[in-house]
Amino acid sequence: MRRALLAITGLAASTTALVVFKGSPGTSQVAQNLPTAQPVNPSGAGTDPGALADAPGTDPAGGTPTSSESAKPSTSPKPGKTTARPSGTRTTKAPSAPRTTTKAPQSTTRRVTGNGFENEYGYVQVQIVVSGNRIVEAVALSLPSGGESDIHSGDVRNRYDGRGGEVVQKQNGNLNTVSGATETSNSYKQSLRSAIEQAF
Amino acid sequence: MTHSHTHAAGRRTGTSSRHGGRSAAPVPPQIPDRRGPGGRRLLGVLLLVGLLASVLPWWLGTPAGSLRSTAATVTSAGRITGLVAGYLLLVQVLMMSRLPVLERWIGGEHMARWHRDIGATLLVTVLAHMSLILVGYADLRNQSILAEVGTLLGDYEDMVSAFVATGIMMLVGFSSIRAIRRALPYELWHLLHLSSYLILLLGFGHQFTHGAQLYKPGPVRTGWIALYLLVIAALLWGRVIAPLAFNLRYKLRVADVVAESPDTISIYLTGERLGRLAMLGGQHFRWRFLTRGCWWQSHPFSVSAAANGRWLRVTVKVVGTHTADLRDLEPGTRVWAEGPSGTFTAAHRLRERALLIAGGSGITPIRAMLEELPPGAALIYRARTPADVLLSRELDWLAQERDTSVWYVIGSRDDPGPRQLMSPDGLRQLVPDVARRDVYLCGPPGLVEQSVRALRRAGVPRRQIHLATFEL
Repeated sequence: MRRALLAITGLAASTTALVVFKGSPGTSQVAQNLPTAQPVNPSGAGTDPGALADAPGTDPAGGTPTSSESAKPSTSPKPGKTTARPSGTRTTKAPSAPRTTTKAPQSTTRRVTGNGFENEYGYVQVQIVVSGNRIVEAVALSLPSGGESDIHSGDVRNRYDGRGGEVVQKQNGNLNTVSGATETSNSYKQSLRSAIEQAF
Repeated sequence: MTHSHTHAAGRRTGTSSRHGGRSAAPVPPQIPDRRGPGGRRLLGVLLLVGLLASVLPWWLGTPAGSLRSTAATVTSAGRITGLVAGYLLLVQVLMMSRLPVLERWIGGEHMARWHRDIGATLLVTVLAHMSLILVGYADLRNQSILAEVGTLLGDYEDMVSAFVATGIMMLVGFSSIRAIRRALPYELWHLLHLSSYLILLLGFGHQFTHGAQLYKPGPVRTGWIALYLLVIAALLWGRVIAPLAFNLRYKLRVADVVAESPDTISIYLTGERLGRLAMLGGQHFRWRFLTRGCWWQSHPFSVSAAANGRWLRVTVKVVGTHTADLRDLEPGTRVWAEGPSGTFTAAHRLRERALLIAGGSGITPIRAMLEELPPGAALIYRARTPADVLLSRELDWLAQERDTSVWYVIGSRDDPGPRQLMSPDGLRQLVPDVARRDVYLCGPPGLVEQSVRALRRAGVPRRQIHLATFEL
């Protein structure tokens, strides 16, 4: 029994040591923003040259109607939560101005893909479908998967995604966090905000 | 010591083992070579390496500095304890696989001790794993721990069985606390303990569906499954194949049952090819006597005579219903035996000379071992009354033959004589070189504890004290 006590104490101590050691801030930042790997749109496949990593997705209609700055809806993304800090790669979004060629026909739908965000559990990237100045659909292109993440990601998807999800209802990036999936919710919101910024 | 023909013990009283050993062992058994602790140490090191390897996937898969929130830290600790618990469970089952190699390397006595210590550690680790994960997840989801239990049970695959497995483990651990265990009938306790195989089964799923290190295909998952397969193979080999081979080979049968004392019987067994049976005096088998009412119980009894190529003998004190039934065994009854096992043998001696201390029916393994110890051993035989002294003729004969001094110490534990003798001074007076001898102890727990204390104070190193334990 004495040895069992020793073993238990030893295990407790080493578990604590392991966790403390891993918990100490190291060199690698986890929440780094990877450059958006532009997913190929189902319809516009092949037409995307992929030259500009951060370019908005090609629209399925073939035209290039990008809304001007003025078309930005009043519910523009706010910095909001502290976690939504501006990211490094997002700065490439700047050249949105030159794209204001023509006034976009309000009826056309566009697909805009947000930046990808890596968190502790996996990679999150969101695509929105914008019709005029309304978001009509949101799709998570990538969410953490495997193990418990499947369940959390499923919760996130059910709440936010689709034509009737919270994104479409709220029309902005200030979504309620899905309980149990805080990190993934935050990454989703970050990606969504970057998509909204590109779209409007 | 008189050998009255008593009718109390055996149905066929016949004669007690008056000449046991003399006529049957024409050639004195060989003194076996020593088996060092090398195998045990090697296995210990291997198991430790395995423990480190089981936590390695977590270490490699967790980026430094990633545990920024309390929830992540607690969850991580839960994952580590989960991996450790999963590994310990496999070790625990391996310990009980009765794999012949393990029995030989470690021996039942050490194995039983390891099993108990690892078992306690395992239980605490599993409880820690469960609480840490619950606290971590509840924090992550911003809900109470009770609500989290509900979420895990309701939404997570395989979690119901994992909780059941934990419940069984707690029950098994609880029933193994010494005081509680003593209060339970052996059969009930054993049945409860057998249900721990369910833990292996029920705990399996959740590791792979939710284990952060195990859910995704890869070397870690494959290795973990391979460990399971290995342990199950060891279990099959040690518990099914090896005993099957043993019993098909030796085909043991009851030859006779004789009374040794009013409450003690000897069962003689014969079989085939017994000359090739590698068995050491002091070892035990788990015996299953294939008659109505007895076949479903398996009990460990030491052999009470060294291997002689012709027969085996167990000497059993009638204490319970099972042992009472053994008095009525018919000659010819088939016997299923598993063994031999145990390191309570002359082969595990560290010194040239030995002191043997037996209490009551604890004489049986020591009687067998006496045939194999180098000359010059000393035997102290404690018994409450002269009638409790068993096999005294054989002991006297062996004392002569093997140059062994035998002291019968009769009386209650509190009588002045035994008290004085079983003290450090008394032992030193009786056996002046006691500190340089191996001491083999077998008897009731009280006697064993008292003797160990006295021996330690008399300067006998712990590793020279050998205890016969066959509780498992």
